[in-house]
Amino acid sequence: MAEPMTASGVSGEAPAFAVRGLGKHFGGIHACREIELEFRAGEVLAILGENGAGKSTTVKCLHGLYQPDEGQVEVSGRAVHFRSPRDAEAAGISMIPQELDLFPDLSIAENLFLGQKRPRRPWGGFDQRAMNRQAREVMAALGVDVDVTAPVKTFSAATGRLVEIARALNRDARLIIMDEPTAALTEKETENLFEVIRRLKAAGVSIIYITHRLNECFTISDRIVVMRDGRLIRSGPAEEFTIGSLVDAMVGRPLETLYSRHSRPIGDVVFEVRGLTLGNVFSNVDFEVRSGEVLGVSGLIGSGRSEMAQAIYGIAPADRGEIIVDRKSVDVRSVSDALASGIAYLPEERRSQGLILPFTIAANMSLSVLALFSRLGFVNRKLEDGFASESARRFTVTGAALSSPVENLSGGNQQKVLIAKVLALDPKVVILDEPTRGVDVGAKSEVYRIIDDLAARNKAIVVISSEMNEVMSISDRIIVMHEGRISGRFTRDEFSQQAIGAAAAGQRLHHAA
Amino acid sequence: MDVPRAADFLRSFRPSRTTGLFVLFVVEIALISAAVPGYFSVYGLLDASRQFVEAGIIALGMTLVIITGGIDLSVGSLLALVSVTIGFGMDAGLPLWLAILAGMGVGTLCGFFNGVMVTALRLHPLVVTLGTFALFRGIAFAVSGAGAVSNFPAWFGVFGQTTIGGLVPVQLVFFVVLAAAFAIMLARTRFGRYVYAIGNNEVTARFSGLDTDRAKIAIYTLTGWLVSIAAVIHTSRISSARANAGFVLELTVIAMVVLGGTRITGGSGTILGTVMGVLILSYLQDGLLFAGVRSDWGLVVVGAFLIVGVFINEFFRKETR
Repeated sequence: MAEPMTASGVSGEAPAFAVRGLGKHFGGIHACREIELEFRAGEVLAILGENGAGKSTTVKCLHGLYQPDEGQVEVSGRAVHFRSPRDAEAAGISMIPQELDLFPDLSIAENLFLGQKRPRRPWGGFDQRAMNRQAREVMAALGVDVDVTAPVKTFSAATGRLVEIARALNRDARLIIMDEPTAALTEKETENLFEVIRRLKAAGVSIIYITHRLNECFTISDRIVVMRDGRLIRSGPAEEFTIGSLVDAMVGRPLETLYSRHSRPIGDVVFEVRGLTLGNVFSNVDFEVRSGEVLGVSGLIGSGRSEMAQAIYGIAPADRGEIIVDRKSVDVRSVSDALASGIAYLPEERRSQGLILPFTIAANMSLSVLALFSRLGFVNRKLEDGFASESARRFTVTGAALSSPVENLSGGNQQKVLIAKVLALDPKVVILDEPTRGVDVGAKSEVYRIIDDLAARNKAIVVISSEMNEVMSISDRIIVMHEGRISGRFTRDEFSQQAIGAAAAGQRLHHAA
Repeated sequence: MDVPRAADFLRSFRPSRTTGLFVLFVVEIALISAAVPGYFSVYGLLDASRQFVEAGIIALGMTLVIITGGIDLSVGSLLALVSVTIGFGMDAGLPLWLAILAGMGVGTLCGFFNGVMVTALRLHPLVVTLGTFALFRGIAFAVSGAGAVSNFPAWFGVFGQTTIGGLVPVQLVFFVVLAAAFAIMLARTRFGRYVYAIGNNEVTARFSGLDTDRAKIAIYTLTGWLVSIAAVIHTSRISSARANAGFVLELTVIAMVVLGGTRITGGSGTILGTVMGVLILSYLQDGLLFAGVRSDWGLVVVGAFLIVGVFINEFFRKETR
């Protein structure tokens, strides 16, 4: 688009906050350019775009982390220059980062007052009681009733997210930027967050909402802007968009279907778990997976899903129970035991558990199988590179040389490198923990294609996911975990959001396990 | 995702840090030679290597330790313990060759002990090796009293006092061979790859099926073995075994490694960089000594370079982010 567009709702008086002709480049590359945005009080603006579209750069300019090379940020119609996030926060702009930025050992109240003036007693000491009172008020305004004196680490990630929002409110933020706030939340927690956002709107706070989950935009946002290649591609009221038109705008081409799932013959039982128990983390977990079958595992975060998977993978082995691969009981005491038994696991935390960010693409892909490319302990780089380039082709890792560090890749490409690494040993059993977290629509659909392809190759596949649509679309069966136990089992014709949601919350509908 | 090209561009300068250190080393030698008449001679420069080879050999192991995010504060004490084991073993009637083997066994075993404590007890290496720092030297003093053994047979001088062709000190050859071996190991072998993997992200390393504990134990054991070699050279060079050998050696070694570009928090570093760190720090100390500066100032140089080294590493790291 040649003409820079203005994402404005109403005309008239100067908007509370605005971005005019904003551009930022790194070296010769424009991360974003000619961005025009206006933020009205009490409005939720969703910014969509694939990874690398320039969303983060734009909001970082707005939040003072980056200084724009072109254009400016305006507050109440006046141009301002933020030299740091501190300046932006003083002007009423706060950002809720993607990764929680809280001190786990400090209480909620103490976290709320970090970097801020705290109430003091007459003789100069901190007034803990006044702090706690004010913290309770802010949390109550969000509709959350928690013990503000308890350390943050005793709460869920969802509550942590709310504490971040409360912290912004405590700084009198008038514009709150939320970068993928629901990435680590379950459906229920997401619903709570939306309730909080509605309260904020009612109080006249503007919100920028960055997400990869398209459904959410329609639920929560008033206006939507779509970015691609650093530019603003489309903008308008949320009602003017459909999922299809959003995807088209984001990827610049029509996307047939997001999910791929071919009907395929399902074979014999390849993988079985019997009575798996680990302390009070999970107990008596039983399930089986057939070759060519995708078993979905649903449940809230903290329900023991990941811990169960990591026990099977030998990270923290179970106390009791049996793991059976190809009818043979296997004793998994370590990750190398699991790998030797043909069990592979894609961890949910791509950056901290899955990849070594400064390592090259090739070195990441080969890390678990380096022995295959070594003679007398020496790594044969030629073999390694050959393997890596073949994997890159198979899993369509694009846009970067095999010798570039994975930290330079987009989330989607990083995820594909991780998938290549996990599948390097050609496992029989593949456990995928949140395989599409934090990846854009295009990469998501490729991940689904890869899962479908694995099923076609007769693997037994377990997919752990918090996204209800995802797990319902790609699974043949679903088990639901609640407080460390299986609380529901569903075959494909029994799938329903209500039934699965109820099982995840520990309530039993008419489906008995 | 925001700055791929810019990061690539800056990153391309990173390997040249070692080149930069080499230039610094040449400039340093030139400046000292210009300022101190009579300093520069091939013989003099080679002869000065006797002063740093021991620290240099230990620095090779320390490089691996620090890359994995650890630290070994016990190397100076261990050098004394090995030296005392050799001297007092001989004094107690062991044939010298057997005493040397015993000393090297003790040194390697003590390194193994460090590694087991770090991995089995999940204690921070700083705490473990601060403990063994006191422990090893304490044992050395307890064994030796305050005495020294110096009645070594003449052949023992071969490790620390002889030259090849009247020019190259024998221990310099040891250092060069070991440095080359460690450089190849770190850059080309699976073990080397695992060292970097553990240092950058130990959790990912474990999720990838690496036996991180075994690798760490191996690294501390290797360091103990290198300390043993350094101790043999040291004892031979000064013809004396006493419990106060290797005083503050750990700091000198750490300063060399960090100056060579190994991040003190782990993840990156090279053997070639460490060798440059060894050369720069040692020749500066040597030059100052030659110029008549009191040797006490050597420790000041170590301290200053340790801080400067860490600062430069973090500074360059920020640039590449």
